[in-house]
Amino acid sequence: MEEALRLRAVLDNHDCEVVIDKLDDILRVTVDGHSYRLEAHKIGEISYLLLNDHRVYDCRVESKSRERFEVKLNKHVYGITIADPRRLKPDENSDRHQRGPTEIAAQMPGKVVRVLVEPGAEVETGAGIVVVEAMKMQNEMKTPRAGIVLSLNVSPGDTVTSGEVLATVGDKE
Amino acid sequence: MTWGKIQRPKTKSHSPMFKKVLIANRGEIAVRIIRSCRELGISVVSIYSEADAKGLHVRLADEAVCVGPAPSNQSYLNIDAIIAAAKSTGAEAVHPGYGFLAENADFARAVLSAGLTFIGPSPAAMAVMGSKTSARRAAVEAEVPIVPGTVEPLSSFGETKATANKFGYPVMLKAAAGGGGKGMRLVQGDEELLSAFETAQAEAASAFGDSSIYLEKAVERPRHIEIQIFADSRGNVVHLGERECSIQRRHQKVIEECPSPINDPILRQRMGEAAVKMAKTVNYLGAGTVEFLVADTTREFYFLEMNTRLQVEHPVTELVTGFDLVREQFRVAAGDELSFTQQDIGWTGHAIECRIYAEDPANNFFPSPGTITDLHEPSGPGIRLDSGVYVGSDVSIHYDPMIAKLAVWGRTRAEAIERLHRALDEYEVCGITTTLPFFREVVKDEEFQRGQLDTGFIERFNSRRASAPLAQPTKEETHMAIIAAALDYRNRQLKVRQSSTSRSNSWKLSGRHAALNVGRSITAKTSSKWRKP
Repeated sequence: MEEALRLRAVLDNHDCEVVIDKLDDILRVTVDGHSYRLEAHKIGEISYLLLNDHRVYDCRVESKSRERFEVKLNKHVYGITIADPRRLKPDENSDRHQRGPTEIAAQMPGKVVRVLVEPGAEVETGAGIVVVEAMKMQNEMKTPRAGIVLSLNVSPGDTVTSGEVLATVGDKE
Repeated sequence: MTWGKIQRPKTKSHSPMFKKVLIANRGEIAVRIIRSCRELGISVVSIYSEADAKGLHVRLADEAVCVGPAPSNQSYLNIDAIIAAAKSTGAEAVHPGYGFLAENADFARAVLSAGLTFIGPSPAAMAVMGSKTSARRAAVEAEVPIVPGTVEPLSSFGETKATANKFGYPVMLKAAAGGGGKGMRLVQGDEELLSAFETAQAEAASAFGDSSIYLEKAVERPRHIEIQIFADSRGNVVHLGERECSIQRRHQKVIEECPSPINDPILRQRMGEAAVKMAKTVNYLGAGTVEFLVADTTREFYFLEMNTRLQVEHPVTELVTGFDLVREQFRVAAGDELSFTQQDIGWTGHAIECRIYAEDPANNFFPSPGTITDLHEPSGPGIRLDSGVYVGSDVSIHYDPMIAKLAVWGRTRAEAIERLHRALDEYEVCGITTTLPFFREVVKDEEFQRGQLDTGFIERFNSRRASAPLAQPTKEETHMAIIAAALDYRNRQLKVRQSSTSRSNSWKLSGRHAALNVGRSITAKTSSKWRKP
């Protein structure tokens, strides 16, 4: 059973969840509670052609940074921020056995609202470590691997920048 | 529909056309000139600055010579380097385009002294028209009306007051050395005169180092209408009708039309004759434009200035008359007779041009330099696009921010506006911000559609625009934009991952296959990466 891709999108200070799922060549997408079945084509480097119930949406997407996008559609321009709430920065191989400490980094600039573990605590894969609030969205930063919390670099109230290492998780001694 | 009469080639005396021409310009106008060169079989030498090495005008040329660093005073205004480039490449003539050195009599003289042909009038004619006061004197000599006012600077406030009362309010105080709106004051009555006099003098002194000012009667709701003229070396001078250029901001034209919405054949003929007289007075050669102010109410017209070069907005005249003005410039510069007479010139339909700038209309038209990442240019019936950029072009901070001119032709003004509306909607420039959204609003404006134009249009339009509610996208549109951003986010993540692990790369697949992977690859990757804990 495949799992849907879940992202957070922020547009004009309104944030919503985007769930993208596959159904043959049709995308099943839910945005802010509205469900769509779309035909999607990527054209060239920056165009996405979406068809919803035969209605054509020819979108031009310019990425301004890793998370910030400017989308042009029907003469309107949308500044959209996309974030993966569960994205754990250095973890490119989480499905393999990890060796060495893993850094848990902030996905976007924000404020630390809660710290869920203490240094030295034993954690399981997927356990929440730190909750960071950004653009009115709270994201729980999880560990991609089981192990011991080797360091905890932030406390509640701290401001963090994108990519800042919040904690490291490594093997038991 | 026909444009004027069918032209018969004049065979009685034919001068050989240039084999190689240097274009002393850049951007869309260099490209425009290159097109006529190609049609005439002329070999093209482009010049470029270090910032423009990949410019479209370089890519389209046969030969290209770097004339200096990015700042234009070291490159496109560098007369010695440009002459040297022409000599070293063996060009026979130099086309200056517009802007840069196009109205610089010293440059024209340098071209001639190097034994080359300058595509334009004589340096003497350029010099006369280059100065406000000598141009006004030439107008008086040609019996062309000038805005009533003094021809000499005012010596005192007392004299200013007496003169203002003689001509009657409202009056305009202007810097004698002026231009660009500096040292310019509109005065409605005696009570405003003293402070206006003092500020105009102070502004003139600081802007031009010359505090002398003169007075003109103010033309109310002035239209800015200009006449295209053309002269050959055999004494033939014709006019190709008017262009309405009333829509201006910061004294810069943004939309031009041919004919004027006034579309008055008698006025056209009177203004045309006046312009031809002006040209004859200075023994003009080639393409030129005589600018007039026209009082919207009385239809009286007054000489403003003469531009001794091709105008930015020449395409609207070309669309309505059917002539290629650049081709004709080469022809008369080579010593040939004009290929048409006044009787051959007719005006069919209506053309409108928008100047597309790399500026942000939402941010007080602030320049928006950058790289063009994608470009969707309009085409189809009645569309002409003179562009100087391509996907990957860098729009540099060093030069004029105009990237293209969109001109449309329709049988009537209303049809041209519909077409312009359609073309503006088709037009997309990605990577930089442009004035396209501004024009999309202008074409919907009622006053514009009625042709009620004068130089105060933009100001009135902006205040209407500020109070008008903006069209909101639908919820579905907003959601589709979010989905597109989300798909792009995901594809970028995959791209990074795939390139770092050097797996077989679906991004290398093109077209439909890759397109279908938009959906497929997302789930293929998520299945392994985001297994539930």
